[in-house]
Amino acid sequence: MISLIFFLSVGVLLFSSLFLLARRNTRPEGSSSALVEARQALRTLQAGLLPLELVNRVFAEQDWEYVRSETPRCIHELFLDERKGIALLWLKQVRTQIRSLQRFHRGAARHYARLNPRTEVELALSFAALMGACKVLQVLVYVAGPYAAPRMVGLVANVANRACKTSEQSLGFLDAARLGALARPSDAAIL
Amino acid sequence: MTPATRRIDVAQAASDLRSRTLADIPRSLDRLIYLASMRDYNTGLYYHDGLASRFTQEVACEALADCHREAFSQLVGCSLRELVSQMEGYIDSTHTSPRDFVAAWKKLEPYRVAVPVETDPLTAQLLFSSFKIALAILEARLPSILPQPSA
Repeated sequence: MISLIFFLSVGVLLFSSLFLLARRNTRPEGSSSALVEARQALRTLQAGLLPLELVNRVFAEQDWEYVRSETPRCIHELFLDERKGIALLWLKQVRTQIRSLQRFHRGAARHYARLNPRTEVELALSFAALMGACKVLQVLVYVAGPYAAPRMVGLVANVANRACKTSEQSLGFLDAARLGALARPSDAAIL
Repeated sequence: MTPATRRIDVAQAASDLRSRTLADIPRSLDRLIYLASMRDYNTGLYYHDGLASRFTQEVACEALADCHREAFSQLVGCSLRELVSQMEGYIDSTHTSPRDFVAAWKKLEPYRVAVPVETDPLTAQLLFSSFKIALAILEARLPSILPQPSA
Protein backbone atom coordinates (compact mmCIF):
# COMPACT_ATOMS: atom_id res chain seq x y z
CA MET A 1 0.00 0.00 0.00
CA ILE A 2 2.80 2.40 0.97
CA SER A 3 4.72 1.61 -2.21
CA LEU A 4 1.56 2.22 -4.28
CA ILE A 5 1.13 5.66 -2.70
CA PHE A 6 4.83 6.37 -3.26
CA PHE A 7 4.70 5.46 -6.97
CA LEU A 8 1.45 7.36 -7.46
CA SER A 9 3.03 10.47 -5.89
CA VAL A 10 6.09 10.12 -8.13
CA GLY A 11 3.77 9.78 -11.14
CA VAL A 12 1.80 12.89 -10.18
CA LEU A 13 5.05 14.80 -9.64
CA LEU A 14 6.43 13.76 -13.04
CA PHE A 15 3.16 14.58 -14.76
CA SER A 16 3.04 18.03 -13.12
CA SER A 17 6.64 18.72 -14.17
CA LEU A 18 5.87 17.71 -17.74
CA PHE A 19 2.76 19.92 -17.72
CA LEU A 20 4.71 22.91 -16.42
CA LEU A 21 7.51 22.37 -18.95
CA ALA A 22 4.98 22.15 -21.79
CA ARG A 23 3.37 25.42 -20.67
CA ARG A 24 6.66 27.32 -20.60
CA ASN A 25 7.09 30.09 -23.15
CA THR A 26 9.40 28.54 -25.72
CA ARG A 27 9.73 31.67 -27.89
CA PRO A 28 13.44 32.44 -28.30
CA GLU A 29 14.56 35.75 -26.85
CA GLY A 30 15.58 38.19 -29.55
CA SER A 31 13.24 36.60 -32.08
CA SER A 32 11.40 38.73 -34.63
CA SER A 33 8.09 38.32 -32.78
CA ALA A 34 9.71 39.69 -29.61
CA LEU A 35 10.98 42.65 -31.62
CA VAL A 36 7.56 43.25 -33.18
CA GLU A 37 6.01 43.08 -29.69
CA ALA A 38 8.56 45.59 -28.38
CA ARG A 39 7.90 47.96 -31.26
CA GLN A 40 4.17 47.62 -30.67
CA ALA A 41 4.65 48.42 -26.97
CA LEU A 42 6.74 51.45 -27.91
CA ARG A 43 4.08 52.65 -30.35
CA THR A 44 1.27 52.12 -27.82
CA LEU A 45 3.18 54.09 -25.20
CA GLN A 46 4.25 56.94 -27.47
CA ALA A 47 1.07 57.36 -29.50
CA GLY A 48 -1.62 56.02 -27.19
CA LEU A 49 -0.71 56.37 -23.52
CA LEU A 50 1.92 59.04 -23.02
CA PRO A 51 0.86 62.02 -25.17
CA LEU A 52 0.64 65.01 -22.84
CA GLU A 53 -2.90 65.88 -24.01
CA LEU A 54 -4.22 62.48 -22.94
CA VAL A 55 -2.42 62.48 -19.58
CA ASN A 56 -3.67 66.02 -18.88
CA ARG A 57 -7.21 65.00 -19.81
CA VAL A 58 -7.24 61.88 -17.62
CA PHE A 59 -5.92 63.79 -14.60
CA ALA A 60 -7.54 67.18 -15.43
CA GLU A 61 -8.21 68.99 -12.17
CA GLN A 62 -10.28 71.61 -13.99
CA ASP A 63 -12.95 68.93 -14.59
CA TRP A 64 -13.06 68.21 -10.86
CA GLU A 65 -13.27 71.96 -10.12
CA TYR A 66 -16.19 72.23 -12.53
CA VAL A 67 -18.00 69.22 -11.05
CA ARG A 68 -17.37 70.40 -7.47
CA SER A 69 -18.56 73.93 -8.06
CA GLU A 70 -21.40 73.52 -10.54
CA THR A 71 -23.03 70.16 -10.05
CA PRO A 72 -24.99 68.57 -7.20
CA ARG A 73 -23.29 66.32 -4.67
CA CYS A 74 -24.59 63.09 -6.22
CA ILE A 75 -22.45 63.75 -9.32
CA HIS A 76 -19.23 64.20 -7.31
CA GLU A 77 -19.01 60.55 -6.32
CA LEU A 78 -19.80 59.35 -9.84
CA PHE A 79 -17.15 61.65 -11.30
CA LEU A 80 -14.45 60.56 -8.86
CA ASP A 81 -15.27 56.88 -9.38
CA GLU A 82 -15.17 57.22 -13.17
CA ARG A 83 -11.93 59.17 -13.23
CA LYS A 84 -10.35 56.82 -10.72
CA GLY A 85 -11.22 53.88 -12.98
CA ILE A 86 -9.68 55.59 -16.00
CA ALA A 87 -6.56 56.62 -14.05
CA LEU A 88 -6.05 53.06 -12.80
CA LEU A 89 -6.58 51.71 -16.32
CA TRP A 90 -3.98 54.17 -17.65
CA LEU A 91 -1.47 53.13 -15.00
CA LYS A 92 -2.13 49.44 -15.61
CA GLN A 93 -1.61 49.83 -19.35
CA VAL A 94 1.56 51.90 -18.91
CA ARG A 95 2.93 49.20 -16.60
CA THR A 96 2.02 46.42 -19.05
CA GLN A 97 3.74 48.13 -21.98
CA ILE A 98 6.79 49.08 -19.92
CA ARG A 99 7.06 45.47 -18.74
CA SER A 100 6.91 44.32 -22.36
CA LEU A 101 9.71 46.70 -23.36
CA GLN A 102 11.72 45.75 -20.28
CA ARG A 103 11.41 42.05 -21.18
CA PHE A 104 12.58 42.72 -24.72
CA HIS A 105 15.60 44.77 -23.65
CA ARG A 106 16.56 42.18 -21.04
CA GLY A 107 16.55 39.48 -23.71
CA ALA A 108 17.94 41.66 -26.50
CA ALA A 109 20.96 42.82 -24.54
CA ARG A 110 22.26 39.24 -24.64
CA HIS A 111 21.66 38.82 -28.38
CA TYR A 112 22.62 42.01 -30.17
CA ALA A 113 26.24 42.99 -29.99
CA ARG A 114 25.47 46.52 -31.24
CA LEU A 115 23.34 47.48 -28.26
CA ASN A 116 25.21 49.90 -26.02
CA PRO A 117 25.66 48.29 -22.56
CA ARG A 118 25.62 51.67 -20.80
CA THR A 119 22.35 52.66 -22.48
CA GLU A 120 20.87 49.27 -21.64
CA VAL A 121 21.83 49.67 -17.95
CA GLU A 122 20.29 53.17 -17.91
CA LEU A 123 17.15 51.80 -19.53
CA ALA A 124 16.97 48.93 -17.05
CA LEU A 125 17.16 51.44 -14.18
CA SER A 126 14.52 53.69 -15.79
CA PHE A 127 12.18 50.75 -16.35
CA ALA A 128 12.63 49.52 -12.78
CA ALA A 129 11.98 53.02 -11.41
CA LEU A 130 8.92 53.42 -13.64
CA MET A 131 7.45 50.09 -12.59
CA GLY A 132 7.91 51.06 -8.94
CA ALA A 133 6.49 54.54 -9.44
CA CYS A 134 3.46 53.19 -11.33
CA LYS A 135 2.79 50.71 -8.51
CA VAL A 136 3.01 53.47 -5.88
CA LEU A 137 0.72 55.67 -8.00
CA GLN A 138 -1.76 52.82 -8.40
CA VAL A 139 -1.97 52.47 -4.62
CA LEU A 140 -2.26 56.26 -4.14
CA VAL A 141 -4.98 56.61 -6.79
CA TYR A 142 -6.83 53.60 -5.43
CA VAL A 143 -6.76 54.91 -1.86
CA ALA A 144 -6.96 58.69 -2.30
CA GLY A 145 -8.47 59.15 -5.77
CA PRO A 146 -7.24 60.39 -9.16
CA TYR A 147 -5.93 63.71 -7.88
CA ALA A 148 -3.78 62.27 -5.10
CA ALA A 149 -0.37 62.87 -6.68
CA PRO A 150 -0.49 65.12 -9.78
CA ARG A 151 3.24 65.83 -9.71
CA MET A 152 4.05 62.15 -9.62
CA VAL A 153 1.80 61.55 -12.64
CA GLY A 154 3.72 64.21 -14.58
CA LEU A 155 7.02 62.72 -13.46
CA VAL A 156 6.01 59.19 -14.50
CA ALA A 157 4.86 60.44 -17.92
CA ASN A 158 8.11 62.40 -18.44
CA VAL A 159 10.40 59.56 -17.38
CA ALA A 160 8.40 57.08 -19.47
CA ASN A 161 8.62 59.37 -22.51
CA ARG A 162 12.39 59.70 -22.06
CA ALA A 163 12.79 55.93 -21.63
CA CYS A 164 10.74 55.36 -24.79
CA LYS A 165 12.97 57.74 -26.76
CA THR A 166 16.12 55.99 -25.51
CA SER A 167 14.59 52.60 -26.29
CA GLU A 168 13.61 53.79 -29.76
CA GLN A 169 17.16 55.00 -30.47
CA SER A 170 18.58 51.82 -29.04
CA LEU A 171 16.39 49.69 -31.31
CA GLY A 172 16.84 52.03 -34.27
CA PHE A 173 19.32 49.84 -36.07
CA LEU A 174 16.87 46.95 -36.12
CA ASP A 175 15.04 48.24 -39.16
CA ALA A 176 12.18 46.51 -40.86
CA ALA A 177 14.43 45.01 -43.50
CA ARG A 178 16.16 42.95 -40.89
CA LEU A 179 13.04 41.54 -39.31
CA GLY A 180 13.11 38.54 -41.61
CA ALA A 181 16.68 37.72 -40.74
CA LEU A 182 15.91 38.01 -37.04
CA ALA A 183 13.39 35.22 -37.28
CA ARG A 184 16.37 32.90 -37.02
CA PRO A 185 17.98 33.40 -33.59
CA SER A 186 21.39 32.33 -34.88
CA ASP A 187 21.38 35.30 -37.30
CA ALA A 188 20.41 37.69 -34.56
CA ALA A 189 23.68 37.18 -32.74
CA ILE A 190 25.61 38.50 -35.74
CA LEU A 191 23.97 41.94 -35.60
CA MET B 1 -2.37 56.05 -58.70
CA THR B 2 0.87 56.37 -56.70
CA PRO B 3 0.70 56.52 -52.89
CA ALA B 4 1.88 60.15 -52.96
CA THR B 5 -0.84 61.17 -55.45
CA ARG B 6 -3.39 59.29 -53.40
CA ARG B 7 -2.32 61.10 -50.23
CA ILE B 8 -2.68 64.45 -51.99
CA ASP B 9 -6.13 63.47 -53.26
CA VAL B 10 -7.21 62.37 -49.77
CA ALA B 11 -5.96 65.65 -48.29
CA GLN B 12 -7.87 67.61 -50.97
CA ALA B 13 -11.02 65.56 -50.39
CA ALA B 14 -10.76 66.08 -46.62
CA SER B 15 -10.28 69.81 -47.13
CA ASP B 16 -13.29 69.85 -49.48
CA LEU B 17 -15.36 68.02 -46.87
CA ARG B 18 -14.31 70.48 -44.15
CA SER B 19 -15.07 73.55 -46.25
CA ARG B 20 -18.45 72.35 -47.57
CA THR B 21 -20.32 69.83 -45.41
CA LEU B 22 -18.51 70.16 -42.09
CA ALA B 23 -18.46 73.96 -42.18
CA ASP B 24 -22.15 73.86 -41.30
CA ILE B 25 -21.50 71.56 -38.33
CA PRO B 26 -19.45 73.60 -35.88
CA ARG B 27 -19.56 71.31 -32.82
CA SER B 28 -17.18 68.34 -32.74
CA LEU B 29 -19.88 66.18 -31.10
CA ASP B 30 -22.23 66.79 -34.05
CA ARG B 31 -19.38 66.13 -36.47
CA LEU B 32 -18.51 62.88 -34.74
CA ILE B 33 -22.08 61.64 -34.92
CA TYR B 34 -22.53 62.81 -38.50
CA LEU B 35 -19.30 61.18 -39.69
CA ALA B 36 -20.03 57.96 -37.79
CA SER B 37 -23.38 57.83 -39.58
CA MET B 38 -21.53 57.91 -42.93
CA ARG B 39 -19.93 54.56 -42.04
CA ASP B 40 -21.41 51.23 -43.05
CA TYR B 41 -21.51 49.13 -39.88
CA ASN B 42 -21.05 45.93 -41.84
CA THR B 43 -17.92 46.89 -43.69
CA GLY B 44 -16.51 49.81 -41.72
CA LEU B 45 -16.27 51.81 -44.97
CA TYR B 46 -17.47 55.39 -45.26
CA TYR B 47 -19.75 56.59 -48.07
CA HIS B 48 -20.45 60.10 -49.30
CA ASP B 49 -21.91 60.34 -52.80
CA GLY B 50 -20.98 63.97 -53.42
CA LEU B 51 -17.39 63.49 -52.37
CA ALA B 52 -17.09 60.20 -54.26
CA SER B 53 -18.33 61.89 -57.46
CA ARG B 54 -15.68 64.62 -57.17
CA PHE B 55 -12.88 62.21 -56.23
CA THR B 56 -13.12 58.40 -56.07
CA GLN B 57 -14.98 56.18 -53.61
CA GLU B 58 -11.68 55.05 -51.99
CA VAL B 59 -10.39 58.60 -51.64
CA ALA B 60 -13.73 59.80 -50.24
CA CYS B 61 -13.72 56.92 -47.75
CA GLU B 62 -10.22 57.79 -46.50
CA ALA B 63 -11.04 61.50 -46.30
CA LEU B 64 -14.17 60.77 -44.24
CA ALA B 65 -12.15 58.46 -41.95
CA ASP B 66 -9.54 61.22 -41.46
CA CYS B 67 -12.21 63.79 -40.57
CA HIS B 68 -13.88 61.27 -38.24
CA ARG B 69 -10.60 60.72 -36.36
CA GLU B 70 -10.10 64.49 -36.22
CA ALA B 71 -13.58 65.07 -34.72
CA PHE B 72 -13.00 62.28 -32.22
CA SER B 73 -9.68 63.64 -31.07
CA GLN B 74 -11.16 67.18 -30.77
CA LEU B 75 -13.97 65.83 -28.60
CA VAL B 76 -11.59 63.84 -26.40
CA GLY B 77 -9.59 67.03 -25.89
CA CYS B 78 -12.65 68.92 -24.63
CA SER B 79 -13.06 69.67 -20.95
CA LEU B 80 -16.08 68.22 -19.18
CA ARG B 81 -17.70 71.67 -19.10
CA GLU B 82 -17.27 71.95 -22.86
CA LEU B 83 -18.67 68.43 -23.43
CA VAL B 84 -21.76 69.21 -21.35
CA SER B 85 -22.24 72.44 -23.30
CA GLN B 86 -21.84 70.60 -26.63
CA MET B 87 -24.41 68.03 -25.53
CA GLU B 88 -26.86 70.79 -24.58
CA GLY B 89 -26.38 72.32 -28.02
CA TYR B 90 -26.81 68.95 -29.68
CA ILE B 91 -30.05 68.26 -27.77
CA ASP B 92 -31.37 71.66 -28.89
CA SER B 93 -30.50 70.90 -32.51
CA THR B 94 -32.32 67.54 -32.45
CA HIS B 95 -35.56 69.14 -31.17
CA THR B 96 -35.96 66.22 -28.76
CA SER B 97 -37.10 66.74 -25.20
CA PRO B 98 -34.00 66.77 -22.98
CA ARG B 99 -35.60 64.20 -20.68
CA ASP B 100 -36.20 61.75 -23.55
CA PHE B 101 -32.74 62.40 -24.95
CA VAL B 102 -30.97 61.74 -21.66
CA ALA B 103 -33.05 58.62 -21.03
CA ALA B 104 -32.33 57.24 -24.52
CA TRP B 105 -28.61 58.01 -24.41
CA LYS B 106 -28.25 56.50 -20.93
CA LYS B 107 -30.00 53.36 -22.06
CA LEU B 108 -28.61 52.90 -25.59
CA GLU B 109 -25.18 54.53 -25.17
CA PRO B 110 -25.08 55.40 -28.90
CA TYR B 111 -21.71 57.14 -28.49
CA ARG B 112 -20.10 53.70 -28.20
CA VAL B 113 -20.61 53.04 -31.90
CA ALA B 114 -19.51 56.53 -32.91
CA VAL B 115 -15.78 56.06 -32.33
CA PRO B 116 -13.45 55.59 -35.30
CA VAL B 117 -11.91 52.16 -35.83
CA GLU B 118 -8.46 51.54 -34.40
CA THR B 119 -9.09 54.04 -31.63
CA ASP B 120 -6.88 53.48 -28.64
CA PRO B 121 -9.10 51.63 -26.08
CA LEU B 122 -8.10 53.90 -23.19
CA THR B 123 -8.98 57.05 -25.14
CA ALA B 124 -12.33 55.56 -26.13
CA GLN B 125 -12.96 54.55 -22.52
CA LEU B 126 -12.12 58.08 -21.35
CA LEU B 127 -14.67 59.57 -23.76
CA PHE B 128 -17.36 57.03 -22.79
CA SER B 129 -16.75 57.84 -19.15
CA SER B 130 -17.01 61.59 -19.84
CA PHE B 131 -20.29 61.01 -21.71
CA LYS B 132 -21.63 59.08 -18.73
CA ILE B 133 -20.75 61.92 -16.34
CA ALA B 134 -22.08 64.57 -18.74
CA LEU B 135 -25.39 62.70 -19.04
CA ALA B 136 -25.64 62.50 -15.23
CA ILE B 137 -25.02 66.26 -15.04
CA LEU B 138 -27.68 66.97 -17.68
CA GLU B 139 -30.11 64.66 -15.91
CA ALA B 140 -29.52 66.41 -12.60
CA ARG B 141 -30.28 69.74 -14.29
CA LEU B 142 -33.63 68.58 -15.64
CA PRO B 143 -36.56 70.13 -13.81
CA SER B 144 -37.94 67.51 -11.47
CA ILE B 145 -41.41 66.21 -12.26
CA LEU B 146 -43.44 66.56 -9.15
CA PRO B 147 -46.38 64.19 -8.71
CA GLN B 148 -49.72 65.91 -9.25
CA PRO B 149 -51.51 66.47 -5.97
CA SER B 150 -54.57 64.22 -5.79
CA ALA B 151 -57.93 65.97 -5.57
